[in-house]
Amino acid sequence: MKLIILFGGASFEHEISIVSAITVKEKLQNSFELEFVFCDQDHTFYLVPAEKMKSKTFSSGEHKKFQKLQLSHGCFSFTKMFSKGEVFGTILNLIHGADGEDGTIASILDFYGFSFIGPRVDASVFSYDKRYTKMLAKEKGVKYIQYEVLHNKEQKDIELSLPVIIKPVRLGSSIGVSIVKEMDELDYALDVAYEFDSSVIVEPFIEGVKEYNLAGYIANRELHLSIVEEPQKQEFLDFEKKYMDFSRSSHVNQADISDELIAKLQNAFKMIYTDMFEGALIRCDFFVIDDEVYLNEINPIPGSMANYLFDDFAKAIEDLANSLPQKKRAQVKYEYIDSISKAKGK
Amino acid sequence: MAQKSIDYKGNTFEISYEILNPKSNINFIVLHGWGSNKTLMKKVFSPYIKEFRHIYIDLPGFGNSTALVALDSYDYKNILELFLTEIGASKDIIAGHSFGGKVATLLQPKLLVLLSSAGIYISKSLHVKTKIALFKFLKLFGLAKFRSLFVADDAKQLTPQMYETFKIVVNEDFTSVFESFPNKALLFWGDKDSATPLSSAKKIQTFIKDSSLEIFDGDHYFFMHYPQQICKLIKSTYEMDKRK
Repeated sequence: MKLIILFGGASFEHEISIVSAITVKEKLQNSFELEFVFCDQDHTFYLVPAEKMKSKTFSSGEHKKFQKLQLSHGCFSFTKMFSKGEVFGTILNLIHGADGEDGTIASILDFYGFSFIGPRVDASVFSYDKRYTKMLAKEKGVKYIQYEVLHNKEQKDIELSLPVIIKPVRLGSSIGVSIVKEMDELDYALDVAYEFDSSVIVEPFIEGVKEYNLAGYIANRELHLSIVEEPQKQEFLDFEKKYMDFSRSSHVNQADISDELIAKLQNAFKMIYTDMFEGALIRCDFFVIDDEVYLNEINPIPGSMANYLFDDFAKAIEDLANSLPQKKRAQVKYEYIDSISKAKGK
Repeated sequence: MAQKSIDYKGNTFEISYEILNPKSNINFIVLHGWGSNKTLMKKVFSPYIKEFRHIYIDLPGFGNSTALVALDSYDYKNILELFLTEIGASKDIIAGHSFGGKVATLLQPKLLVLLSSAGIYISKSLHVKTKIALFKFLKLFGLAKFRSLFVADDAKQLTPQMYETFKIVVNEDFTSVFESFPNKALLFWGDKDSATPLSSAKKIQTFIKDSSLEIFDGDHYFFMHYPQQICKLIKSTYEMDKRK
């Protein structure tokens, strides 16, 4: 089966997308016929030879020598001196952050009629902006942590009591995130988040809160769930640690929690996923407080596709690729114009 | 890194900055030179004098800070003044490299640190004057498209606004600004500096009453090789002054 891994993008997470793509390549190269399409920060697409899938290729600018690609209907295409070529296949959207998770890539792929693994436009909108994620959780009946929104153009005091955690509203990873324990740290922490987004979300920081991650997808009308992982406990992952996290490939063990709690987490996942994220393999990160499950965030394109949470990752991708939703497109038949023309006798 | 919006003369400037050692209460503010940015300065100075609160700032139009209009050095000073008030930072020690040295001087910190500072006007060489005259002549015939052949390397990558800024600031003479600087200044220079020659350093030293000059082996970016010595002197000078 042919699979095109699409990565890069004009995003703060451009580099972690490269790391993700290299990791996923290792995991899938024995099961798929892989092609690699790199989206540069200026939105040029390049066809990257498999043996060149190394981070150095991109940091050194070597990729600029590779074949440039254009978007065509249902494929990437290129013209060489005397020949034309096309790159066909199902796309695995592995662009993290802006472009990949904000709905831009989903729109383009839909428009050009690609078959792709990844969140669709509406799913992207609801998971990319943390405010909309809370709205979605509310609508679906899943608990979420209370929050406040601040904007860099207005002066406003926060009402939550310290400590709080401050996040840019539209960034997927922990970039720009700070924990504020004392009032004199607040202003700088806000400016740190404002470097990445004009709006920030403030939530209470709950020391030692239990955190669980769960990934899954719907294929053949059935929900397939990964094991539940309790991520290693740190206050939060800074960029360097996050970078390492995106290259994870070794399998982890199921969290040591009751069957009842597992069922609660799975149920919350199902509520969030169903009728919104079809076509994507997503990871939901939950908090558990007093045995209640709270949605923290949705990663519609998780780092290295959360491969380490699945027993048979290649099989999961294959199943998903074989049951992707197809966008309904209106058929234009000009019946209306024709009937008017006939009525006029022309 | 962090970012703050500053409104000045009807324009908004996004100022990108970074604070290290936030719990200290003495500020060590570092301003980069023309075409440079805070990342370079941070790389050089962040390992030293950690008892000070380091504040690294991208000047408007450089690094991640924005400037959509042309500015002169006084505008830079005013914008930074607003910014420092916003973040509540007193002007204890301000170090500036090259163009940043001019802005640092205007800000009148308690202790001024000049690293190969600009500010002494050096008249344009005959070669540059000829280029300007020739270009102005060509422009009369609508041949402005050959501009890139005439523009200095420092200016080639600039937006039109920043090119205007460039032309304004290279023509400023800071003699009287240096002469009226009221506090102590430490001057650090590279002896092989061709952008702001050692002769400028000696002039500034005579202009600023309470100043001293340390000369190092190196060019316009000499300070990248001697951060430890520079920081040691900054610290001892600041502490000695405080005791007075």
